[in-house]
Amino acid sequence: MILPRIARAIEENPFYVLGVRPECTRQEFEREGQKLLSMLALDLAEVRTYNTPLGERTRTTELVRRSMAELREPSRRLLHEILAALPQSEIHTSQPTRPELDDRWVNAPALFGYGRFREGRQ
Amino acid sequence: MNDRPLYLGIDLGTTNSAASVFDGSLTHLVRTSQGTTLTPSVVRIDARGVITVGTKARRLLESDSDNVRCEFKRLMGTSQRLNFRASGKSLKPEELSAEILKSLRADVREQFGFEPAHAVISAPALFELPQSSATSEAARLAGFDRVELIQEPIASALAAGWTENASGAWMVYDLGGGTFDVSLLETRDGLLRVVGHDGDNFLGGRDFDWELVDLVLERLSSGRPRRLLRSDSQNAVAIRKLKLAVEEAKIELTRMGCTSILLPNLQFGDESVDVDIEVSREDVASRCTALVDRSVAVCLRLLKAQGQEPSKVTRIVLVGGPTAMPVVRQRLSETLGVPFAEGLDSMTLVAQGAALYAASANLDARPSARINPDKGRRIWLQYPAMTSDLSPYVVGRVSEESAPGPASIRFEREGWTSIETPVTKEGTFVASINILPHRANEFRILGTAKDGTDFPLWPSAITIIHGLSLSDPPLSRAIGVALASDRTHIYLERGSPLPARRTFLHEAVQTIIQGNDASVLRIPIVQGEFHKAHLCRLVGALEIRGSQLTASIPSGSSIEVTLAVDRGGRLSAQALTVSGQVFEEISHLLVPDVPAEVLDQAIRDLRKRLSLLFASAFRNKNQGSENTARLGGLELRLTEAERDAAAGRAGDADAAQKARRSLIDIDAELDGLEQEAQFPKLESQAVMELSMAMALVSIHGTPQERRLLEEAAASLEQVRKSRDVIEIQARIEQIQALCRAAFFRDPHAWEQIFKFAASRINSARDLPLARKLVDEGRGAMHRGDRETLIKCTKQLVTLIPFDTETRHLGHDSGLR
Repeated sequence: MILPRIARAIEENPFYVLGVRPECTRQEFEREGQKLLSMLALDLAEVRTYNTPLGERTRTTELVRRSMAELREPSRRLLHEILAALPQSEIHTSQPTRPELDDRWVNAPALFGYGRFREGRQ
Repeated sequence: MNDRPLYLGIDLGTTNSAASVFDGSLTHLVRTSQGTTLTPSVVRIDARGVITVGTKARRLLESDSDNVRCEFKRLMGTSQRLNFRASGKSLKPEELSAEILKSLRADVREQFGFEPAHAVISAPALFELPQSSATSEAARLAGFDRVELIQEPIASALAAGWTENASGAWMVYDLGGGTFDVSLLETRDGLLRVVGHDGDNFLGGRDFDWELVDLVLERLSSGRPRRLLRSDSQNAVAIRKLKLAVEEAKIELTRMGCTSILLPNLQFGDESVDVDIEVSREDVASRCTALVDRSVAVCLRLLKAQGQEPSKVTRIVLVGGPTAMPVVRQRLSETLGVPFAEGLDSMTLVAQGAALYAASANLDARPSARINPDKGRRIWLQYPAMTSDLSPYVVGRVSEESAPGPASIRFEREGWTSIETPVTKEGTFVASINILPHRANEFRILGTAKDGTDFPLWPSAITIIHGLSLSDPPLSRAIGVALASDRTHIYLERGSPLPARRTFLHEAVQTIIQGNDASVLRIPIVQGEFHKAHLCRLVGALEIRGSQLTASIPSGSSIEVTLAVDRGGRLSAQALTVSGQVFEEISHLLVPDVPAEVLDQAIRDLRKRLSLLFASAFRNKNQGSENTARLGGLELRLTEAERDAAAGRAGDADAAQKARRSLIDIDAELDGLEQEAQFPKLESQAVMELSMAMALVSIHGTPQERRLLEEAAASLEQVRKSRDVIEIQARIEQIQALCRAAFFRDPHAWEQIFKFAASRINSARDLPLARKLVDEGRGAMHRGDRETLIKCTKQLVTLIPFDTETRHLGHDSGLR
């Protein structure tokens, strides 16, 4: 099972978003990112989606910009390199159906008799 | 007019403004009719309503002070109007800024032969959203069709990077007339990246002037029965004259060791005083070192936030008039020890950088009508107008028409022709082209028809400049929406590359009745990094009024909110209701006005909190000395804010704004210290959460969740040792997330939530509906109908209101 945060890190891995290899140079991802931004601006069909180990995802200009910014930061890039290098078999596990975990249920366990009810709503 | 594109950059400064035009190879400073490159940001309106701008207006600042206004940049985005007595006119700060921009436009026309329609205007990096919005409005009023804003430090960096061609980490220290910005930058492989920035919107040369005014007043007061105060409204004219004199003295002291301030017959109330006071560099140093140190503290804070040491910074670029002061340079050398970049004009660097940025944004200053359209099939192109890449891509799309388009496209420049790039069935093409370094490269675009004949295209040429590639500027402060729970839902994190846009789904906490104007759903937009909404700055609000609705919005229904920020920091927002109505007008996009009594009350409250924290710090021997030092610093800042509030009461709107901002900052810091004082409480909460999570995860958790919980427990131990409040909160959230995941696997989880919500229906907003839901939920529980139970519970919870006080803290948000 993959926790949502990890799943998102895989889905939005800059190497997948930009379609470049983890060992690419800075100039390569800058050029590729620029090209993708130009193609998205003119709505070219072939760049609207990209492939990830979790399936096809939608590519947006925000995602491309964010990916380029992430790869410019050496420590952040390292993190993405590690994730991009994970064997596919480890990533390709089915996601369990998850309950809704929005803010409203943050205190749910407290109602179960644990802890106190926060947010000043008592 | 020149056939090649020209790019206009404007530095709209607090004290002086400047403009520069970039022609693809060189930047040219725009000269005023007096032949200078600086236009004082001063406006005069005489009795006939005639407007004078710049040097001429500045000359009359002293003798006609009721009709001359300066330093209005610091009031941009506020509702403060500035009066001109003789004409009876009252103008907003952006209207006055528009007059400066009109004057600069006229200078460009004089020198370059065309009236610019497009430009890039610089704004301080830490300008709040209303201030940026007011700058754009000023440009519109000045007659510009389109402007982009650029953060001042990025403009300086671009200009310095363009000139210097060096690499590594460096800093831009920009001390202007009214604002201070510092940026950490990195140039590598021709890419200029803003690593981060920080600043103080209310620290500038003007504050140095006020320090010197206070020094002179202190000397004049010595031996008098009554102190001469600048907060005394009777002294307003004398203070204005004195300020101009100290400003001149300050400039003289950049070249001389000592100078005199001579002002005969200065009228303080009913007393006439002859001012003849000698001021030395040492006097300036003794009064202004604290201000410089304040800027140094911001520099160090920036470096720390980016994990950098001053020793790793290769040089500092100094920008702004006050950086010429010896006390600034000396103190920076002593504290940071980083060499200064030499040979740059600190007064016009921002304008030059803005012009270079206009080129990279492909924003030709010439009016579109004057750029002759060629004959041919229209193509839309996307390419970097300025880049460090020698082989950039050009992407294009040919307009759709009934006749067939070109089969292929090629690009030509002197001595080089690209290969024929095929055009797809959809009319698109992607070509890689080759550019020459360090120059503007002009390419002709040539189309070829299916039969091999020429196919004319429009535009038929493009220009790509080889230079620095500018990475997307980072957002200076996080932007989000305040919720009714007083939490901040961060949409765009600090540092997000701009432009950026995010959408989230919320729920209305109240019903908005169609046709009722008093029924309003408010979506407050806040700036700041705090999880508590009331600690963030309210910068605007979307308001959905009942009178505008085509259908009522029931409590609990979805509202989709989108926030977007462009490269210059301008915000736009949109709310989409369930009925498909869109609301996008941001109201109250103003820096809020603060009445004097509110400031006074805030100061009293902060003093009280400060004294409680002092007492606690003295009691706690472990952290006592460190905390008392921090509290001491806050006490000084509070005293300074008190002084500004007093000046505000005497009519100085800028000082009142400064006090407001300082009080918010002090409030936030006190909150941090109070949180630190709560560490033992957080620690016990963490332990409690952990034990709760362990109980739930051991029963319902997956093996991975158990492993993650073990890791979280180990990490919590580390945090308990480091006593880091932010970190412990993050660990608590992590443990809570695991706890929630396990909790919801319990088959009785929803029953428990239902029972809890049902026990609170007396406070529900719609009691009959709440009762109906409770009945339905009970029935579902009895039948074992889980889906209906979940549906009822979710709806029931939305009917339980937030308490008024919490909602008020959340800027009266109507969302959860």
